[in-house]
Amino acid sequence: MNRSHGIPPRRRLWLALLLGLLAQAAVAQITSRPPTLPRDRYRNGEETLRAFAPISAETRYSIVKLNVDGATVALGTVVDTNGLALTKASEIKKGKLTCWLAVDQEVPAEVIGTDDEEDLALVRVHAQGLKPIRWASGGVALGQWAITPGIAETPHAVGIISALTHRVRPPRALIGVQFDFGGSAPRIQELLPGFGAEKAGLKPGDLIVGLNHTTVSNRVQVIEALRDFREGQMVQLRVRRGDKEFDAEVRLSSPQFADGAADQYSERFRRRLTGEVSQRAEGFELAIEHDSVLPPWLCGGPLVNLDGEAIGLNIARAGRVTTYALPARLVQRVLDKLESRTKSTARQAGG
Amino acid sequence: MPEPAPARRADLPVAFTEKAPASIAELRSMQRHIEALVARVKAAVVAVEVGSGSGSGVVITSDGLVLTAGHVCGPPGRSVRFTFPDGKTVHGKTVGRDEESDTGLMRITDPGPWPHAPTGDLAQIRVGDWVLALGHPGGFDPRRSLVVRLGRIIRIEAGALQTDCTISPGDSGGPLLDMYGRVLGIHSAISTSLADNFHVAINEFYDNWDVLAQGGGGEEPVFAPRAYVGATGVNDGGGCRLTEVEENSPADQAGLKVGDVVVKVNGHEIKVSSAFRRWVEEAQPGETLNLEINRGGKVLSLKVKLAAPPADH
Repeated sequence: MNRSHGIPPRRRLWLALLLGLLAQAAVAQITSRPPTLPRDRYRNGEETLRAFAPISAETRYSIVKLNVDGATVALGTVVDTNGLALTKASEIKKGKLTCWLAVDQEVPAEVIGTDDEEDLALVRVHAQGLKPIRWASGGVALGQWAITPGIAETPHAVGIISALTHRVRPPRALIGVQFDFGGSAPRIQELLPGFGAEKAGLKPGDLIVGLNHTTVSNRVQVIEALRDFREGQMVQLRVRRGDKEFDAEVRLSSPQFADGAADQYSERFRRRLTGEVSQRAEGFELAIEHDSVLPPWLCGGPLVNLDGEAIGLNIARAGRVTTYALPARLVQRVLDKLESRTKSTARQAGG
Repeated sequence: MPEPAPARRADLPVAFTEKAPASIAELRSMQRHIEALVARVKAAVVAVEVGSGSGSGVVITSDGLVLTAGHVCGPPGRSVRFTFPDGKTVHGKTVGRDEESDTGLMRITDPGPWPHAPTGDLAQIRVGDWVLALGHPGGFDPRRSLVVRLGRIIRIEAGALQTDCTISPGDSGGPLLDMYGRVLGIHSAISTSLADNFHVAINEFYDNWDVLAQGGGGEEPVFAPRAYVGATGVNDGGGCRLTEVEENSPADQAGLKVGDVVVKVNGHEIKVSSAFRRWVEEAQPGETLNLEINRGGKVLSLKVKLAAPPADH
């Protein structure tokens, strides 16, 4: 390399860039522009959140903060004038349930119904004057503001709609077979001890030809279809063994005891980068994905647009870049189900 | 070499040029702008699979040049599978990379034309500018497609931008866009804080273009380091955490130890490990660097006199 010729080109570019930056820095000093952005002006900083104050003013009387034994566990979304609110069911642990209201008052509350499928709980809040949230009727657009108000004067978090609204599959559950990778057919090569397939009497060499009354012929097809089932559910398999065919009811179970300790390490490392996530963060029929950074104990409240209407209900903090909200229409459907169920229970109890 | 696309600050909604948005009306103008921008550029953001690894990238020319991160790209000549946000998959090759700057270049070899995004220029960018991070975190997912995040530039330093757009593994190589829709950076690294999202600045691609386009990043380093310190490290949020200190190297002689976090060089903050490496590379053998290091919570000042690389380097 020729070093006698002064500054080589790449180095010159670097110097130019460096000088450019120094020049910028000098300008910055004159105009006292900070070299790093003050935290208040981050997307989720106080100054930014202040711009959203009118949204909070509009919605804070439609939100409650749920405490169990004095510790905040979730927000709740008020759904009628009689004090019914929806929240994230799995965050409501056993203990004394109370609600803080925007009027700075703590009142008792109790869970009167839950929906495990979407992880929603219906809560009766013993308070007057709560205002039901207004649900948005339209869909959402990529890049649209997604606001998480609480009972305070400014929201807890703001972000944007990050991705298409989509189904979130449940955590992986297994029937406990290893397929023969020799061909594309779903032929069982090995059975994992202790799992559902073994217990249902399946054997190596068995060919799966049907799954819940749908014909299957391909291994990938079966693996994909099984991804939609959660732990504890049963799947009906049509099995061909030699020239016989029969049906087997197979239970799916969590892969936890199949994985070794090695996975726990990478899991811990992943958690460090992700921050805290909700315990129940998977398995929703449909979810709006947004990039608001929300601690798990602030799920359950409404996700609103710039009109102060709820486009959804925050249901999980799922990862470093992901927060999920159930879309308004799905929430309303589950609410109808929960309300009719609690009414019929009340009737039974009364009758 | 791509040219930065022109842009005028006056064309942006005023909310983007203020310290912070001030009203619902301003938030609405931002929303309109962002929605339109995402709709315009998203088609150019691809998921990439190279070997057993995966990441993201952005197409910047109609004939299919793709910018990505050096650590996603790997050496030249590898086969790449690209997936566009609509699920269409096409094939290509890695062209070149520069490991130090974490820049990488790929090319779609299937016939185009391809949707593409213009590239920007750091000279027009300020701390506090609003930006969008696009990519395919966790790999391509047809139900979800690409993922968009909003944030602001927290810090600008030679070679890298820091933002509060949260990015995660799989995003690496995806584009950071300014509010003109131009590629301003490429997602490169994160640390534990949600505000520690680092993006290679677009100017690194301009500066390294010849290296990238001519298949740099094979086994041989293209530029031999000129000064030698004998210590390497990794990103550690607020500095470069040393993972290796060679015996009898200038670093060793100065008293540096594995685990030390270099937080300042000659009074300048070190935010990413590459910044420390660069200080060394930009120096001459014989020069002294004043280091500020964090050793188990204690801040120490050390002087290290750089040497010429030993013969086997």
